[in-house]
Amino acid sequence: MNARTLRVFAALSLSLTALGAAAQEDGVLDSAVVRNRLYKPAGHPELSLSVGLPVQTHLTAHYFFDVGLAYNLFDTFALEARAGYAVSRHTGLARSISESFLDREDKRVTDELEDMWRMNLHSVVGARWAPIYGKISLVADIPVHFQTYLWAGGGLTNLKRQSVIQCTQVVDRAAGVCDNRTAVDDRGSATENYWVKESRVAPVVSAALGFRFFINEQHGIRLELRDWIFKDSYRVNLLRDDWEAGRTTGEPASSPGLTHLVQFDLGYTFTF
Amino acid sequence: MRPFRSIALLVAAVPALAFAQGASPAQPPAAPGPDATAPAPPSPAEPPERQRTERDAPAVPQSQPEAAPATPSAPAVTEEDDADRAQAPEAQAPAATQPTDAPVLDTHEAPRTTDAQQQRLVNGAPLYNPNVNVHIVQKKRFADEGKHELVLYPAAVQVNGKFTNHVGTALSYVYHLQENFALQVGGQYNWYSDESDFNLELIDKVREQAQAASSLLLQWGAHAGVEVTPLYGKFAFFNNSLAQFSVVLSGGAGIGKTRHLIRPEVANEVDGQTYQVPARFGDTGNKFLGEVGGGFRVQFGEHYALRLEVRDLIYTARVDRVDGCNLADFEALEAARAANQPFDGLNLSGGCKVSKFDGVDPKTKKNYREDIILGRDLVAEPSSDVLNNVSFYAGFSVLF
Repeated sequence: MNARTLRVFAALSLSLTALGAAAQEDGVLDSAVVRNRLYKPAGHPELSLSVGLPVQTHLTAHYFFDVGLAYNLFDTFALEARAGYAVSRHTGLARSISESFLDREDKRVTDELEDMWRMNLHSVVGARWAPIYGKISLVADIPVHFQTYLWAGGGLTNLKRQSVIQCTQVVDRAAGVCDNRTAVDDRGSATENYWVKESRVAPVVSAALGFRFFINEQHGIRLELRDWIFKDSYRVNLLRDDWEAGRTTGEPASSPGLTHLVQFDLGYTFTF
Repeated sequence: MRPFRSIALLVAAVPALAFAQGASPAQPPAAPGPDATAPAPPSPAEPPERQRTERDAPAVPQSQPEAAPATPSAPAVTEEDDADRAQAPEAQAPAATQPTDAPVLDTHEAPRTTDAQQQRLVNGAPLYNPNVNVHIVQKKRFADEGKHELVLYPAAVQVNGKFTNHVGTALSYVYHLQENFALQVGGQYNWYSDESDFNLELIDKVREQAQAASSLLLQWGAHAGVEVTPLYGKFAFFNNSLAQFSVVLSGGAGIGKTRHLIRPEVANEVDGQTYQVPARFGDTGNKFLGEVGGGFRVQFGEHYALRLEVRDLIYTARVDRVDGCNLADFEALEAARAANQPFDGLNLSGGCKVSKFDGVDPKTKKNYREDIILGRDLVAEPSSDVLNNVSFYAGFSVLF
């Protein structure tokens, strides 16, 4: 999606929402089919807490803990600021690659792997558009009211990256050790590792599709599928001799692409 | 399995919500039963959580007692949208056909449907209506029992592809044995199934790749099973149109045909001319297939529906033969290839399709014998795994 498409989409969404909200205010839609929303968040701020779990992991895994503050301009439209911290780690596959690649000396020139940046602190501001309001019957008599919404926004995030290829101080090549562990088999005893590390602050875009289930006027549960998107960055044409000597090697990839972190978010909202 | 766990979590969260709502103090008090002739007097103190709802109650007519229904009970409401009917009680009132023995309304007593408290919206309908408090989403507009449903999913896209990518088309037939229970049989053909870019990146950059069993590709699958629809509901899109939907859960078992990438697409240079040789896949046999899934079925009218589902095709994967040839066969073929001997006299296992590894492709000039070593690598260390091929299915169905 290029910037032009995004602008058109945003403008369309805003106009649809504004028109719909205005129509509601004027009573134009009074005779519509589900006119009586039991829960009308318009005009109310809300606080939310959420936990995000990775839908899929390749080389990294993230667990998000976010706090959000939103203001419902209309029943169908809200502005929200979210901030939080993502606990991240390398997956077992990444660790396996790092250990085996130390001993793979037949590969002396290579590129860094893609999508290795890990998010930490992050903050985004976005718009939530909830055109769908419905209710679901669980066992004939128990209704659950819900909204289905799209969320889009952007902000900044702190990113860090630890290579699984470039070890600046090989301790035990055969065993794949690149840290100061006290025993070869005791990975937990390491207090420092010698993998090349980087960090940066970068723009991040987030988009989500979610459901908000109302418990009552104040309380609700949110389920979201959320994508965090930021520009990737890695180096190519790395020389083993250079990185193992602790020298910077290679050059940045010309078109590194985008990294997507897709999360399943479970959240709680409190409407004031 | 993580996506599957996520779906399970989502499904599990819904009943919890329901119980929470059921126990919530925000639930309205029980409405009078259908036989009640007079509602309970309005409570003087409004619960705080209701105040916002009250704000949205429709305007109460103040000076039309004669137009209001004076009958002791409201008209029977059988459609699911009784809430909407109830919004215009005057229009539905039996205006001029009152029997002579109808109860006479006390002139000092306001008609009950014009009282502000009774007009208060509860779960989307005025409180005076005794039906709406019990059945919020009353009847399904369209009954499923006894119906046949033919579902076409033009796109089924794998969403958890770490080492593999699949895109296919699926077709299902569902017979709704009961309202919430159906039998289903279906099939899927993956017109695109290949190893993922991530796997190729690992091969290229760090000389690593997924085990053969972990990157097994599903060519097609067929399964039979059951489908249940434990939940149904309705939603409005921008307050303009109403749609009925059901949550569908399915499960079944069947069989699937698998294959594995032997060689990716390569360029073959012969006599100064370069030929593009397409990727080559080896048959790894039929596998047992399990299927679980869930999603939404949104019904449009009586005969059409849209389905959005996530399904997990689970299949056991053990790769010890490729194109019918096991490790011993590949060893024999490789030895013959190295000695530049024909394969005719080799003692191979019965199912080994030796022709797949012999000869030259007339179009690309690729010598198939060069693939023997690649096939041997796949079975050299027999691997096994249980694969979860989680895909998103978007389709539409016809009910008849």
